[in-house]
Amino acid sequence: MKQTQLDPKLIIGGIIIFFLLFLVLFQPLLNKAIIGDTNPLTVGIFPMYEPPSLRHPLGTDRFGRDILALTLLSLKYSLIVGAIAGAISTIIGIIVGFSAGYKGGLIDTILRGLTDTILVIPSLPILMILSAYVKALNILTMAIILTIFSWPFSARVIRSQVMSIKNAFYVDLAKINNMSDFEIIALEILPNLLPFLGVSFAGSVVGAMLAATGLEVLGLGPSGITTLGMMINFAIGQGALSMGKWNLIFPPIFMLVLVFLGVQLVNMGLESTYNPRLRR
Amino acid sequence: MNKLKGIFKHYIVRRLVSYFFTIFLAFTLTFFFFRLVPGNPIGAFILSMQQRYSTGVLQSSEGDIVERYKEMFGLNGNLFTQYVRYVKNLARGNLGPSLTAFPTPAQKLIFESIPWTIGLLGVSVFISWLIGLLIGVLIGWKRDLLLSKVIAGLAIFFSQIPQYFFAIFLVFIFAYVLFVLPSSGAYDAFLRPGLYLKFIASVLRHAILPSLSIILASAAGWIISSRALVISILNEDYLIFAEAKGLRPFTILRNYVMKNVLLPQVTGLAISLGFIMNGAYIVEWVFNYPGIGRLMTNAIGILDFNVIQGVTLLSIITVLTANLIIDLILPLLDPRVRSGQ
Repeated sequence: MKQTQLDPKLIIGGIIIFFLLFLVLFQPLLNKAIIGDTNPLTVGIFPMYEPPSLRHPLGTDRFGRDILALTLLSLKYSLIVGAIAGAISTIIGIIVGFSAGYKGGLIDTILRGLTDTILVIPSLPILMILSAYVKALNILTMAIILTIFSWPFSARVIRSQVMSIKNAFYVDLAKINNMSDFEIIALEILPNLLPFLGVSFAGSVVGAMLAATGLEVLGLGPSGITTLGMMINFAIGQGALSMGKWNLIFPPIFMLVLVFLGVQLVNMGLESTYNPRLRR
Repeated sequence: MNKLKGIFKHYIVRRLVSYFFTIFLAFTLTFFFFRLVPGNPIGAFILSMQQRYSTGVLQSSEGDIVERYKEMFGLNGNLFTQYVRYVKNLARGNLGPSLTAFPTPAQKLIFESIPWTIGLLGVSVFISWLIGLLIGVLIGWKRDLLLSKVIAGLAIFFSQIPQYFFAIFLVFIFAYVLFVLPSSGAYDAFLRPGLYLKFIASVLRHAILPSLSIILASAAGWIISSRALVISILNEDYLIFAEAKGLRPFTILRNYVMKNVLLPQVTGLAISLGFIMNGAYIVEWVFNYPGIGRLMTNAIGILDFNVIQGVTLLSIITVLTANLIIDLILPLLDPRVRSGQ
């Protein structure tokens, strides 16, 4: 028998994601190595608009802040916003998706109506209004705003997965054994869906980060912190493009592309590993 | 025969009912959402008027003035009366005055922006679809070539990059490093809009970078989906039979492969075109392009309800209408359904 081979996409995507997680986990240490004990957001420590050098690998910005240190801190906050939003929408998705998929009926009808309606409402203007007019926009409120448009889709894909295995023989067996609905869901269906829920979570994180970046690039980011999208907005506002300062604008873009690409590669790799029809 | 026709008629009626119901639901949801936003557009509006004209004179009767303006913008009374009034005005084709460019009606601003958005996005979406379809089918058909694998890999990479990243990149290279293309606007400001060669050339020159950023991002998606569609049918019996019959590869590609790819991809194109009014807000923002996206971004900045509501309603109707058309026409295009009739 042929041994199951790991898809190269899965390996590359996995390496990218581990690399990013490494950067986030060791951000305090990396920060120390780059600029010592100072907060990357502190203004005026270094000369402004330094070109890349050994001391500042990506140079400094208009306020004399080290761009590499700033990018690493922004990456951390961007991922945190995405992770919180992804977690909330996956949890709501699990609750609603399981009840709709397993029980069907009214919840199912409402869920379908809701997703159909939300799909046609232009989401960006709504998100823009919310982030512009919600008082005290911070990481958490930003994440909650982002979930408004994402949880119904998590719920819908989870629902279809639940539907596809709720008639499996082991579920029937559990029913014969007089297990309650809750037991069946918690002990039989949920464990079997765990890998899928992981993928669904990663997808929600990326979706939330995409939406967040769009808002932040337009200048509607949370206050008091820095994220990758806010760095882009800031760089454009400073005229980085017209001054030809690539080192101000491309580091945050590069990081975001890495995140999106990494998750997408892992998704595709998993799919072709678990769905033999796609493998050749 | 008659029974089938009955089923089809029943289907059309049901589809139409759901079409109007979803429009109603989405419109109502957004209407109440917008009105519940904690902002004070009228106060800000009066403040800006005061600053622009005379200060102090208006202060004595400020309450009256606020009421008058609220009435003018349809913001007086409780939410439900506002809703009923809005729907009544809507039926007469009146979206109310805009705050951004008072007293221009919102529908006029919207109709001025639509051509730019349709021109930019319509053309870009179609071009990216065509490019993506052709490249995707070819690299799916010849999937073992190294070149095909490289293109497929690049497509995966490009498809993960938002359009406005391409926009930023292209502006940087072509407008500020090479100085060959304009960085913003839809035409040279010194030209008067009209149908003459110089103006059209200017419009096209200004459209290159924004449309290229949309094409680069979305062609990749079409390449991936077309390639997957081709690969999914490569092992079908009828293709092997066609090959066994000795048909030329190009004939097989055109008559068998393309046919199977085209139906889902045309559907996909129609859906994408339906989302046109959702615009490319951030691309328009990067290029300061005078389309729906820029109008909306400005309107949101000062909570210009009538413009925001008008554009939102337009987006909702466009998306739903595109889907309705697909659902009504697709059964007629699918040979499996056609033969059943």
